[in-house]
Amino acid sequence: MKLKLYLALPLLILSACGDSPPPEQAPVINNTEEVQQYYKDHPDFFSFKTLSDVPTDLNWESGGDLPEVGSPNALKGGLETVRLADFPRTLRTVGPDSNGGFRPWILDNTTMSLAHRHPNQLDYFPGLANRWAVDQDSKTVYVELDPDATWSDGVPITSDDYLFIFWFFRTEYITAPWYNNWYENQFTNITRYSDHLISISIPELKPDTDSKVLELRPLPRHFYNEVGEDFLERYQWRFAPTTAAYVIKEGDLKKGRSIRFTRNTDWWAKDKKHWRYRFNIDRVNLIVIRDTPKVFEAFKRGDIDQFGLSLAEYWYEKLPETDPDVENGYIHKKWFFNERPRPPYGLWINTDQPLLNEKSVRLGIQHATHWQLVIDQFFRGDYDRLNTANDGYGSFSHPTLRGRPFDVEAAMKHFADAGFIERGDDGILKREDGTRLAFTLSSGYESLKDVLTILKEEASKAGIEFRVEVLDGTAGWKKVQEKQHDIHFSAFGYSLELYPRFWETYHSSNAYYDAFLDDGSINPERKSKTQTNNLESFAVYEMDGLIDQYRQASDSETMIELAHTMSELHHEEASFVPGYYAGFFRLGHWRWIQYPEDFSFKHASGPTQYFVHWIDQDIKTATLNARRSDQPLSKSIEVFDQYRTPAIP
Amino acid sequence: MLTLNPQTRKKLARFRKIRLGYFSFLILGAMIALLSVAELFVNSRALIVHYNDTLYFPTYGSFYPGTTFGEDYSYEANYRALAKSFEANSSDNWVLMPLVPYDPYENDAKDGIMRPEAPDFSVGHYLGTDTTSRDILARLVYGTRTALLFAFAFMCSVYLIGIVIGCAMGYLGGLFDLFFQRLIEIWSNIPFLYMVIIVFSVIPSAASIPVRIGILLSVMVLFSWTSMTYYMRTETYKEKSRDYVAAARVMGAGAPRIIFRHILPNVLSTLVTFMPFTVVSAISAITALDFLGFGLPVPTPSLGELLQQGTANLRTAPWIVTAAFGTLVIILSLVTFIGEAIRESFDPKQFTLYR
Repeated sequence: MKLKLYLALPLLILSACGDSPPPEQAPVINNTEEVQQYYKDHPDFFSFKTLSDVPTDLNWESGGDLPEVGSPNALKGGLETVRLADFPRTLRTVGPDSNGGFRPWILDNTTMSLAHRHPNQLDYFPGLANRWAVDQDSKTVYVELDPDATWSDGVPITSDDYLFIFWFFRTEYITAPWYNNWYENQFTNITRYSDHLISISIPELKPDTDSKVLELRPLPRHFYNEVGEDFLERYQWRFAPTTAAYVIKEGDLKKGRSIRFTRNTDWWAKDKKHWRYRFNIDRVNLIVIRDTPKVFEAFKRGDIDQFGLSLAEYWYEKLPETDPDVENGYIHKKWFFNERPRPPYGLWINTDQPLLNEKSVRLGIQHATHWQLVIDQFFRGDYDRLNTANDGYGSFSHPTLRGRPFDVEAAMKHFADAGFIERGDDGILKREDGTRLAFTLSSGYESLKDVLTILKEEASKAGIEFRVEVLDGTAGWKKVQEKQHDIHFSAFGYSLELYPRFWETYHSSNAYYDAFLDDGSINPERKSKTQTNNLESFAVYEMDGLIDQYRQASDSETMIELAHTMSELHHEEASFVPGYYAGFFRLGHWRWIQYPEDFSFKHASGPTQYFVHWIDQDIKTATLNARRSDQPLSKSIEVFDQYRTPAIP
Repeated sequence: MLTLNPQTRKKLARFRKIRLGYFSFLILGAMIALLSVAELFVNSRALIVHYNDTLYFPTYGSFYPGTTFGEDYSYEANYRALAKSFEANSSDNWVLMPLVPYDPYENDAKDGIMRPEAPDFSVGHYLGTDTTSRDILARLVYGTRTALLFAFAFMCSVYLIGIVIGCAMGYLGGLFDLFFQRLIEIWSNIPFLYMVIIVFSVIPSAASIPVRIGILLSVMVLFSWTSMTYYMRTETYKEKSRDYVAAARVMGAGAPRIIFRHILPNVLSTLVTFMPFTVVSAISAITALDFLGFGLPVPTPSLGELLQQGTANLRTAPWIVTAAFGTLVIILSLVTFIGEAIRESFDPKQFTLYR
């Protein structure tokens, strides 16, 4: 009897660790009624009118005269292999885990909105819209949809797909507070006039009123009719019908390994101006390779067609001019200077952490980080010092603010203000009660870990210790989204916009729940808010007011002034240490990858962003043959500096 | 207590005769002795500074700020620069630097660019520098020291737990034995690498480097002691049924006396033969974990991190991988040679009556 008991015990433990029973069959959901009811419940927002209600004096624009994007020489076909650093955690484009490095492939860079900014001229050329008109008085944008437009499954795109987004992005089902807020507050009305004519109104006029509306992307109403409580799980791995040229076919998604995109030969926009010379490659195979050095080896072998050479290490050392493949012209190198909002690489200080909530400590950190050394010695002077978190927005960027220089004396003075006067035996400052001046410096950029160790070494001169923590990309992002970090080294990829956003990163409502009491004093019981982009837990009452003004402002001058004031306030709070920016991108690609004559665009963020490259199969065969027989071809290293902006001294 | 009995002395004499093993043992011993005072050979801190008729010994202990030596900064004195400036001023002051005047953390960029530099004796980078211009020899020395220390600590802990539990299982037998056997079976099926990853993801990042190393060590020990118990259990079972144990018991010896005076010395020879291989596996494990990025935190010098850098720069900086790989090969070979020799000299079969 006893023996049986002993035997049964481990079995029990074992079964407790085992799999849970298989989930029950997902219930059938159809939200059509719920959506219709929602429209009815918000009659001010959702209006239904007829074509005769459209004002007749509208000034319609279509942007059709803008130059083509891409080259008429582009050939269709071929297979390109692209590296994916991490397998996506979901195919959803909203909700937890969706805002990762894979999303540009299924949303940002591939799908169509109503109209798109021309990458050289910033004006809009048509996407899903045929033409549009801005009515300043009613703060409304009228849009005529292209009747040819269809989803990749053949279903036509109609006004209903636009009405639907204002239900979808406002539901709690999607677990995406940013979207909830944005679609709740940034729009006041959508009116359906016919299947292909809608108007959308916004609360305040802006210098770029049209962009608020024209950059909206529709959602396939027929596909999302099962959205409900279980949205996150139900849509986790479902590829939505898309407006993009690329689709994922059944079986082309191998979890953890690869994802293959196939060019949709029935893509509705394939012969449209501005679109016909883009998305040229037939199949794009995304394979997961975590290690960058391995990717480079794969590139050198020709398994991967293109490789970003923006890091000095790769441009100068690993693929130098004298490399046989470059020397013989099998691999071409390109250096392109661009002009666009700069990703703010720098240290995001979580002001919600002890010590870091003291301004003098933060000021000390500003002076204790030696970015110039990183730029000069590690990046070999190719990069430039970032001055604010919002550089590259033209007149919206602050003209005179400068990143604080490395200065041991200044840093120590600020630390002394915070009570850190004595150096310990290891040279790190400490308070009288023994508190050491030490923080975790984390990052999700495995390839930039050397930057952190250089900063750490230099910072120790000023008596501050950085404990470097290098995480993989997803884990690093998770950490800051949960606001678990002390100081995090990261950057946001900014999309091409006329003016910077402040609400996402500096509004107190993204840092805490109920950050302030009614009189503007700090709420002692406030709780940190996770899953927002306010990585600094930045909550300054004055800033909230400025942000609200900024969001309501309609003319450029007021906005520029406000942007400058906010940048100054942000600079003063010292919760972000501006690091560096690269005013360019560099690329190495095999000879068979072809680019338009100008290579890229003034406002492009990377060479492949607009999908204007193509593969020339004949050149590919010739190159591979030449390489096999060691025959030199013409060498090509090109620098495109027509859009170069001089660095601020 | 355990004193050397004539048999053990015989075994040691035999070990001394196996030259490959014996010399490996001497070399490794000398290496460990040198590594334990590595600060005297590889360090950016000077050995002796003579300044204004006072002698300073900065190697151990707290740091001297630059102001101590008349410099205008309050952080740690840069002794290499100090040596140069003393020389230039041709004063009575002098600095005696160690053989390798670099520490494993500092970036020493020649001509202002951080990149791997090939070995250069003239500047004291005897094995070259790594991707951020840190001295490879310095990183190698301190990395090896950590690895060896780690391995020996690992071995001791694993053996302690393994011997205690294994012995108890064999000696006590019965339900105790049965229970622990099942427990060990379950325990040893928990995947070790996942556990390390999970545990590391929950360690508070504020933990200092020694604490993190300690945690890594305990996790590894926690999942490695089981294999030792099998041998101890069977050996103890075997010895326990021998006549001499029965005789001791008849004479009134208690359990502790029987275990420590009679059984342990007799099973020790089996254990000793495993030791070097445990050390080898510990060094490999910590190196592998580092290579995968789950080991020691950046920028702690380690063999695995150097190996990783080396493989990442195989084409452009082959000296990194050569140094790391060479060191690993040398140490693992030495330990293996010692292990082989110990096994041969301690092999109980040579003395058994049942041959």
